[in-house]
Amino acid sequence: MIKHIFTLIWNKKKKNFLLFLEIFFAFMIMFAVFAFIISNMRVYYSPLGFDTENIWTASLRIPSSSDSTEVAQMKTLLLQELNTMPEVESASFSGLAFPFSGNTWSTGNNDNGFNFQTCIFFSDEHYAKTAGLDIIEGRWFTEEDKNSKYFPVLITKKFREQCFAGKPVLDSLFILDDDGDFGEFVKIIGVVDHYKYHGEFAEEQLGTFVYTPSTSKDTYVAHIRMKNGVQPDAEEKLNKLIASTTKRADFSIRKLEQRRIQSSQSTWTPMIALMSISGFLIINVALGLFGVLWYNISKRRSEIGLRRTVGATRANISFQFITEIIMVTLIGIFVGLFFAAQFPIMKLFDIENINYYYAMLSSAGVILLLVLICAFYPSRQAAMVNPAMVLHED
Amino acid sequence: MIKLQNVSKIYRTKTIETVALNNINLEIAEGEFLSVMGPSGCGKSTMLNIMGLIDEPSEGSISIGPNTIKDYNGKPIAKFRNENLGFIFQSFHLINDLSVIDNVELPLLYRSGINGKERRAMAEEALTKVGLKNRMKHFPGQLSGGQKQRVAIARAIVGKPSIILADEPTGNLDSVMGNEIMDILLDLNQNDKTTIIMVTHDETMARKTNRLVRLFDGSQVS
Ligand SMILES: Nc1ncnc2c1ncn2[C@@H]1O[C@H](COP(=O)(O)OP(=O)(O)OP(=O)(O)O)[C@@H](O)[C@H]1O
Ligand SMILES: [Mg+2]
Repeated sequence: MIKHIFTLIWNKKKKNFLLFLEIFFAFMIMFAVFAFIISNMRVYYSPLGFDTENIWTASLRIPSSSDSTEVAQMKTLLLQELNTMPEVESASFSGLAFPFSGNTWSTGNNDNGFNFQTCIFFSDEHYAKTAGLDIIEGRWFTEEDKNSKYFPVLITKKFREQCFAGKPVLDSLFILDDDGDFGEFVKIIGVVDHYKYHGEFAEEQLGTFVYTPSTSKDTYVAHIRMKNGVQPDAEEKLNKLIASTTKRADFSIRKLEQRRIQSSQSTWTPMIALMSISGFLIINVALGLFGVLWYNISKRRSEIGLRRTVGATRANISFQFITEIIMVTLIGIFVGLFFAAQFPIMKLFDIENINYYYAMLSSAGVILLLVLICAFYPSRQAAMVNPAMVLHED
Repeated sequence: MIKLQNVSKIYRTKTIETVALNNINLEIAEGEFLSVMGPSGCGKSTMLNIMGLIDEPSEGSISIGPNTIKDYNGKPIAKFRNENLGFIFQSFHLINDLSVIDNVELPLLYRSGINGKERRAMAEEALTKVGLKNRMKHFPGQLSGGQKQRVAIARAIVGKPSIILADEPTGNLDSVMGNEIMDILLDLNQNDKTTIIMVTHDETMARKTNRLVRLFDGSQVS
């Protein structure tokens, strides 16, 4: 029977070609849309590695010409004042590269026997607690690290897995920057689970936290973790406190949670648009398929009547029509898979191959399901044909 | 062998009710060659379809051997049609997208226990009988009317049915081709003992058969 159906499809290749094309193009478009959505969603669902709720930031813009001692005094005072405020849970300072800031400082080299490129985050001893970082090996910075012979650093898990896989890393030294900005070697004192600081839809990069004491004039972005359920007037209070302590007015308090939402917006918008377009596409393909199948079956009523006459049961007829359409669909999908497979093979875009594989699977699945749904009713209808009636028709 | 008892068939549309068959009682014996005649629209095709179990009577019953038919769409009837009945139509009803041999094999596809090789052999044998073995790979569109009808006969006999139902098998053919077809049917009846019921408009054809039934306005008149 399968061979018979195959013969039938082959003999009708011209008539089936349009259907094949429809399936093929639907598959390719769906594949592209799914690859885009899946790769974004996989990044989206990977952990951020830090908290955004109740975390406020204020960038103090300290000029590099300022006197270090004065800055140190001012920053110490500010931390003290912040910590005495009842609404504040903890406070810390970081460099300009912090979550959703859009700023990056990165370095890399291959002096260690491996090649790497890492983002650098200048952070003080309070940052891990304030940001809610997850330290999975070793420890975060303490004030004693000021006297360390080498620059103490923490690296992210991704960095550890990519460059130090299987080796112990705690207390090991490596060359972070070959310009010597951080001395000859830096010393790894811990590993941070995740730090997807560019945004929810930005693939996590390798990261290195470099210790910068809270008194340093190089870290002037204040991170303040507020307690749960702070009153609306807390922002005003905080604003006044920072202004009076620093004697500056050129800062503004921003909420990390809002930044998170804003930074994702630019990805959500095209993605939702694409999803609605692909929704329409699916409806269109379904309607087209349904029409084609319906038309095919109405054109073949006398064939159905004849088959019934020579002994086909209703089930035989439904089976034949569903199998025919499924075979044409599978051919379309296989040709589509061949083209889709070129994306991971030729590495056309900078996304992980696994996303393409998921996209292939899901678009093939969606199309098969669609075809099955669309073929079901017309095929049943075909089976219901009264043979005497249709053989009489012409 | 086939017995029609008080069979009536009434077609109802919104505006009109047509009595296509009116209380027909008819029994066909094994090995008989029966012809059915009557003016157009008198119910000949309807009767043949009912005998062939592809249409249901509105009233009355059909028995095949000792069994009275109840469910016309069930699997047992499909199997019965497949194994015991062969159909030939005025307009051939070949599947244009299948080659001659594939058309002839069609009934065997719905029969269990026959493999592809056996199917092919049986189809070739049937085509040889109708003298078309050399046209096996052709498509219906490449054949003349007479050849098409011979393919249809091959398809009807490929499963070695005991009964052939032919609805004006020569209706679309000229007299030479018509006679060829008639000769094949006579041969099947005489040599293979196939029971044949044939609807025809041609008195000379009808005269060659064992028995003649005449219908008029859905009723049997002789
Ligand atoms: N599906 C149908 N719906 C309504 N009326 C029908 C249907 N099929 C047949 N009829 C009517 O039933 C009557 C008998 O039709 P049938 O086809 O049996 O005639 P016939 O004797 O075979 O005629 P012909 O010699 O022209 O083939 C006709 O009046 C026809 O119009
Ligand atoms: Mg007729």
